[in-house]
Amino acid sequence: MGKYKIGTRKEISTNGDIAIHVSNLYKGFKLPTERAFGLKQAFFNRLKGIKGYKEQKVLNDISFDVKKGEFVGIVGRNGSGKSTLLKTLAGIYYPQKGEIIIDGNLIPFIELGVGFNPELTGRENVYLNGAMLGFSNKEVDTMYDEIWKFAELEQFQNQKLKNYSSGMQVRLAFSIAIRAKGDILLLDEVLAVGDAAFQQKCNNYFKSLHGNQTVILVTHSMENITKFCDRAILIENGKITLDGTPKTVAKAYKNLWS
Amino acid sequence: MNIPRVLNKKNRVLLAELTKTDFKLRYQGSVLGYLWALLRPLMMFAILYVVFAKLLKFGGDIPHYPVYLLCGTTMWSFFTECTSQGIQAMIARGDLIRKISFPKYIVVVSATLTAVINMLINLVVIIIFALINGVEFSWTWFLVPLSLIELYVLSLGISFLLGAINVKYRDITSIWDVCIQALFYAIPIIYPVAMVAASSALAAKVILLNPIAQAIQDIRHNLITPETITTWNYISNPLLEFLPIILIVVVLIFAAFYFRKKSKFFAEEI
Repeated sequence: MGKYKIGTRKEISTNGDIAIHVSNLYKGFKLPTERAFGLKQAFFNRLKGIKGYKEQKVLNDISFDVKKGEFVGIVGRNGSGKSTLLKTLAGIYYPQKGEIIIDGNLIPFIELGVGFNPELTGRENVYLNGAMLGFSNKEVDTMYDEIWKFAELEQFQNQKLKNYSSGMQVRLAFSIAIRAKGDILLLDEVLAVGDAAFQQKCNNYFKSLHGNQTVILVTHSMENITKFCDRAILIENGKITLDGTPKTVAKAYKNLWS
Repeated sequence: MNIPRVLNKKNRVLLAELTKTDFKLRYQGSVLGYLWALLRPLMMFAILYVVFAKLLKFGGDIPHYPVYLLCGTTMWSFFTECTSQGIQAMIARGDLIRKISFPKYIVVVSATLTAVINMLINLVVIIIFALINGVEFSWTWFLVPLSLIELYVLSLGISFLLGAINVKYRDITSIWDVCIQALFYAIPIIYPVAMVAASSALAAKVILLNPIAQAIQDIRHNLITPETITTWNYISNPLLEFLPIILIVVVLIFAAFYFRKKSKFFAEEI
């Protein structure tokens, strides 16, 4: 198998200064043209010589490096491939072509509260979601009180999650998520949660990350890009069209609509 | 797939939490709760007992027939629960697969472990019933776990294989339901093997070459009565005798490779 026949994603640990290396990354999805769910349709499609899908290129030759400690923002319109890029970096999607090298322990927040179950109590959900983020029960034990205090939901610990408001659920999820200690954080639009007071707490958290941790942030908020990021990348139709300072990228992003 | 990574702490914690959640949620909202894990197979046993042992008089001269029947139905429930949960696992846990990166086999194993827990609880009930019924303790009881592991390994193999196909072709769930129905009659659960052997020795041999039948008959043989007809004492060809075991190994190896190959793309296909 040649190096670029099929994509690779490697996690290594070195003392180098590159945290994420992406070169010539391609990712496409097979979109079903005729209904291709089910054995019968698959069988008839084969008989008729129909492939049953067409290939949709989502990431088209993406290359970039992220240095250790860098806070990088990724912006682009809906459907430009930002989330696919993040999911491929996180190892959820398999790279079709190209190479990804991750140096360090990577923690993805594609969504908050992964695994949350409405039928379980808040307490049970904390342990469940903790496990998704790689925490052992013992580790959750030690930060348990801190989680509830930060979320300001101490009195609801033993309520079922379905009795929480959606804002409360997100606050709890966020409060668990920020305990995760990795070398690299991937964040997908998880900034805007809760009311103004909680927002302030979140902003403080992101400020605290700045300079200490490698972060990749996907967002539509140019305010966050200029406030937190060292560098920003603009993606259009699966290609990087601009890679530069937050200010220039924010300007180019706004110009997409003018 | 290197072993240290597959069994690392993070994966073990995830497996444990998912299993706990599955078990907690199974009987969520029902008044009797976990008691259903016991009641369901017992009720199924009661129905089969009335129909087949009392009305149709299937038991014949098998000693401890009610326990023999209970043992068979429990192990059968274990197999069906294991496989149907295992095959459904990826779809039931689609939200996780789409959002975090982890070895997908964890989802299948956690879904089937609930069935294992249920089976172990029921095994205690069988042993209590057996003792009440006058079955005497024998050293062969210690061989039972071997057959249970065998049955579990087969269930896992089927779950990995069909579960991976099911991600793309949801028909598998329905097809497997029909297969389960057919298998139920192809395996000597309600009828004794002797009944088949009386009319056709060949048919009895074919039945006993099925790994599920082999495992269940072994459990009955080792736990309840040594008079049980098993693959080992009914089939004399030493090569043929090992066919069920070979079949299980082949299924597991093939399923593991297939699952590993396909699991890279579950996140986008589900």
